[in-house]
Amino acid sequence: MTDKQKLVVIGNGMAGARFVEEMVALGGQEQYDITVIGEEECGNYNRILLSGVLSGSHNPDDIFINPVDWYAANGVELHTGVRVIGIDRKGKMAYGAGGVLMPYDKLVIATGSSPFVPPMDGLITDEGAYKKGAFVFRTLEDCKEIIDYAASGAQSVAVIGGGLLGLEAARGLLNRGMEVHVVHLMAWLMDQQLDPKSGELLMRSLEGPGVQFYLEKLTTAILGDDRVAGLEFKDGSTLDCDMVVISAGIRPNVDLARMAGLHVRRGILVNDSLACRNDQNIYAIGECAEHRSQTYGLVAPLWDQARVLAERLAGRNAEASYTGSRIATKLKVMDVELAVAGDKDALTEDDEVVTYVEPNRHVYKKVIVRDGKVTGAILLGDGSAAPRILQAFDRQEALPENRSELLFPMAGDAGLPMKVEDLPDAARICDCNGVTKGRIMAAATEEGCGSLKAVCDATRAGSGCGSCKPQVQAVLDLGRNKLEMAK
Amino acid sequence: MISEQPSETELQPTTATHCPYCAFQCGMDLAGTPDDLLITGSASFPVNKGALCIKGWTAGAALAHPERLRTPLMRGSDGELHPTSWETALERTAQAFRDTRARYGPQAVGIFGGGSLTNEKSYLLGKFARVALQTPNIDYNGRFCMSSAAAASIRALGIDRGLPFPLEDIAGAEVVLMLGSNSAETMPPIMQYFEAQRENGGKLIVADPRLTPTAQRADLHLRLIPGTDAALANGLLHILVRDGLIDTGYIAERTEGFEQVRNLVATYWPERVERITGVPEAQLLRAARMLGSAASAMILTGRGTEQQSQGVNNVLSFINVALALGLVGRPKSGYGCLTGQGNGQGGREHGQKADQLPGYRLITDPAARRHVAGVWGVAEESLPGPGKSAFELLDSLGHPDSDGSSGVRALLVMGSNVVVSAPNVINVEERLKSLDFLVVSDFFLSETAALADVVLPSAQWAEEEGTMTNLEGRVIRRRRAFAPPAGVQDDVTTICNLAWLLGKGNHFDYADTAEIFAELGRASAGGPADYSGITYEKVEANDGVFWPCPGPDHPGTPRMFTDGFPTASGKARFHAVRHASPAEEPDAEYPLYLTTGRNLAQYQSGTQTRRIPELSDMTPSPLAEMHPLTARRYGIGDGSSVRVSTRRGAADFTVKITRNIREDTIFAPFHWGGMQAVNRLTNPALDPTSRMPEFKICAARIESTEGAK
Repeated sequence: MTDKQKLVVIGNGMAGARFVEEMVALGGQEQYDITVIGEEECGNYNRILLSGVLSGSHNPDDIFINPVDWYAANGVELHTGVRVIGIDRKGKMAYGAGGVLMPYDKLVIATGSSPFVPPMDGLITDEGAYKKGAFVFRTLEDCKEIIDYAASGAQSVAVIGGGLLGLEAARGLLNRGMEVHVVHLMAWLMDQQLDPKSGELLMRSLEGPGVQFYLEKLTTAILGDDRVAGLEFKDGSTLDCDMVVISAGIRPNVDLARMAGLHVRRGILVNDSLACRNDQNIYAIGECAEHRSQTYGLVAPLWDQARVLAERLAGRNAEASYTGSRIATKLKVMDVELAVAGDKDALTEDDEVVTYVEPNRHVYKKVIVRDGKVTGAILLGDGSAAPRILQAFDRQEALPENRSELLFPMAGDAGLPMKVEDLPDAARICDCNGVTKGRIMAAATEEGCGSLKAVCDATRAGSGCGSCKPQVQAVLDLGRNKLEMAK
Repeated sequence: MISEQPSETELQPTTATHCPYCAFQCGMDLAGTPDDLLITGSASFPVNKGALCIKGWTAGAALAHPERLRTPLMRGSDGELHPTSWETALERTAQAFRDTRARYGPQAVGIFGGGSLTNEKSYLLGKFARVALQTPNIDYNGRFCMSSAAAASIRALGIDRGLPFPLEDIAGAEVVLMLGSNSAETMPPIMQYFEAQRENGGKLIVADPRLTPTAQRADLHLRLIPGTDAALANGLLHILVRDGLIDTGYIAERTEGFEQVRNLVATYWPERVERITGVPEAQLLRAARMLGSAASAMILTGRGTEQQSQGVNNVLSFINVALALGLVGRPKSGYGCLTGQGNGQGGREHGQKADQLPGYRLITDPAARRHVAGVWGVAEESLPGPGKSAFELLDSLGHPDSDGSSGVRALLVMGSNVVVSAPNVINVEERLKSLDFLVVSDFFLSETAALADVVLPSAQWAEEEGTMTNLEGRVIRRRRAFAPPAGVQDDVTTICNLAWLLGKGNHFDYADTAEIFAELGRASAGGPADYSGITYEKVEANDGVFWPCPGPDHPGTPRMFTDGFPTASGKARFHAVRHASPAEEPDAEYPLYLTTGRNLAQYQSGTQTRRIPELSDMTPSPLAEMHPLTARRYGIGDGSSVRVSTRRGAADFTVKITRNIREDTIFAPFHWGGMQAVNRLTNPALDPTSRMPEFKICAARIESTEGAK
């Protein structure tokens, strides 16, 4: 019916849906008929907030960004609950399970990632499902199932994986009144983002009633006959629990691309135009894409990519290119404030590492400076410095020579309130009317003004906004005292 | 200015009028003579209740000021301005207008008005443009003031009245969130209401990149990165939705469009908002909880939020918060804009804007055109259509229009000093110089008047009759205490005389300002800002009347939206607005944000206040404020000279080092001209809806000029 090109987007998650939103905002529908295929049954929701849903702080309805009716209202065709099983690059056709055929001129792959599930005995049942009580934590559906199971009488849960997502899951389950065991393969928590010291301090600040940590534990088996009853570790020890949540990392979903013959390493290889290396009509964005040897698991880079690709395809900026993102994240792990950015350790001998540690309060601040710019930071237990340092990192700003001013931004920020005795006569007491201490003193001592009202009438102090009246009174008292002393 | 001979002044009758400066319009009583004036704050006027700031106390000094213009001036063949008679000055002006019309068409004559003109003058200026000149090209400096809040209020609430509730309601609000307003300096007497609010146990939250005197009084200060206002609003709403603090009953009954907003704010989780705004998450949570748990709350915006290329969206995003909390139309609650200029409110209602007719009607609305043409006694077809907005008007001076017709080549400026107050003034000055003819009405030889071919000396506040509409929408009386000095004429007479010279005098035949006001009332009847039931007598008897006041027996409307919104559906509208970056962000070449604003002791372009000794003594020159770490990085000391440069130009300031500002931001006030004009630097990027320039944000660099002197 039209001579528009067909644009097919595989994936309706954080990257795919954002890209479609950007296309709509840029008027991309003038050139394309847009079709989106989502594997989940619902519209697009904010995956970042799943941990909030798990902990009960967010209502699932409040995390939707583009509900199903958004697509129709914006002229976008949406297929939900459809898994794409193949791409015919020669015929320019995507095949959905159940016989859905989608011809394309341009194809965007935004298939995201899947939970990495390490091999463990007893996890998969004969029917091919996870054992009752074992879950991964990736989708809203996973989240709902975990909540239901936790509410059905489970008392204790093991979370496999002490990374960012694992700790968020642990917080959610703790909020639901469960006894939580966090099992981590490495020697310290969040080993991807933290150095050993901060990982240790993080663990110490998180430990408490209801939460226990097990480091350097490789889970080899899920115990229990028809439902989860415990874990067994490689060292032979075991742990009793009623349920297990596996969040041991993610893997880009690249099978579809690989089968289609696209170049794939960890992710689908794309260049700065976000087009696949060996097919310029196919693009990949989001967690499934690998750009300059980097795959991303945070939302900001995904949205940067979505924006760049939309600008290119909508013709707003045919030269738009993606050159990589600076990775920083701010998270709350069980109410402990933590911000991390860039490198976690010095990379060269010339790198300057500024560290402040306060073990008692579990405060750790580390900034890595290279060529006078922040290239990495770990800020644990004190949220006040994070906005300033992350801004310096994001924008590669020049830094104060005295690095402590970066770590302690508020130091000396607000002066102590001055006593009126210590102020010089020229100090202004009433800003509205420019009345100085000397003028008020004169009214009190030389002009015989004995009351606040008399001073205010004579000098106009306090007759604007009125907020200086306490100080006017104090100066008046000072003046009256002076008179008394002189007697 | 206090008289040394009270016995004599007491014999003088006092005149009850209002301060010439800001939109608070303090009531004041005048006694004495122009050169020996006793000003008293009016204790009985319910707005300021006797309070005045130093600008008010010293306002009399402008009346008998030695630099006051006392005769018209005309540029001679020597290129200099020389005294001339009123007859010659007006005939020269009328001739220039006639010639320009004949040669280029009626659209080639333009008018630039001001937000400090009375309602009567604003109305008359609009009528003069449409009836006497028949030009679409009239706009005014209010476009640089509250136009973003006005546009947002109309879109969301159906109408724009700065505060839709009386000031006294502030004192009863449990929580007030103030955005980008430094009213402790710009409108000091308003602070008594915040003091009362505090005494009543209320809390104040102020969002501002600077720890201003206003922010210093707050219970919570959100020191946001310039230009991130909408992200802050969306982030607060995210928390309110998440924590179940929104008013779902109100949303369902009184609003529409919430679903899209709820979906949008799902993408503004606190960690992300902290990264965008620089406001720590803990403060975001605290602010949201204070607002969400209060039984009554207000959200007030000022120029900081509005004077951006995202200004309308910024305000809409905060109206979203107010609507989601069910505040608008509830007691001691709501959304309001703190209007800036003396008649910033009335000045935007009666046809001084390019797209409007009296009563806040759209000039494109056929019914409005029919009605107003009827009141004016002219054919509906003779009314021109919408013209260019303020900055676009200034920017186009002397250039042909895009359709090939001539742009504005002759301009009347009344009550505005655009070469100081407009953005990118270097360009504005060039544009003014490119005109065939410029006539300026002012009471001093302002920087703009100094460029004119004809300068008309106008009467001041204490020398004229009329009405003003304060920030609450309260119509009040400005009264004449003295006759203007010999050689000075009030603008009403000037406009009417020019109309006579242009052959349209029969439409400009008034016995007094009350007659103009009555006609304004008829013209506004049925419009959003309906003044038809307001008379001078009613204003005087009631300490002012709040519009809308649609009939003689109507008492006026202190509180709006109590039982509906003047929208098509009767409901308020949410608007899903994503935040966007300002037009210019700091980069390697221009690494700092520059923001602008006002000082306590100066007003607007400083034409009046820079000439008043007490005020000049308090703030003799503009200070560029910067953080000590920033100053040190550039080797700049307190009190030293600094040059600030942007892509538009450079300006020179004295440095004030203060920790009360973000490290990435410098601030300078805009009250000065010449090389001290910060508007040499500002970015004229416009909001797509309100056409508000981005005064509040641009990218700048600084260098010490200490050794250069």
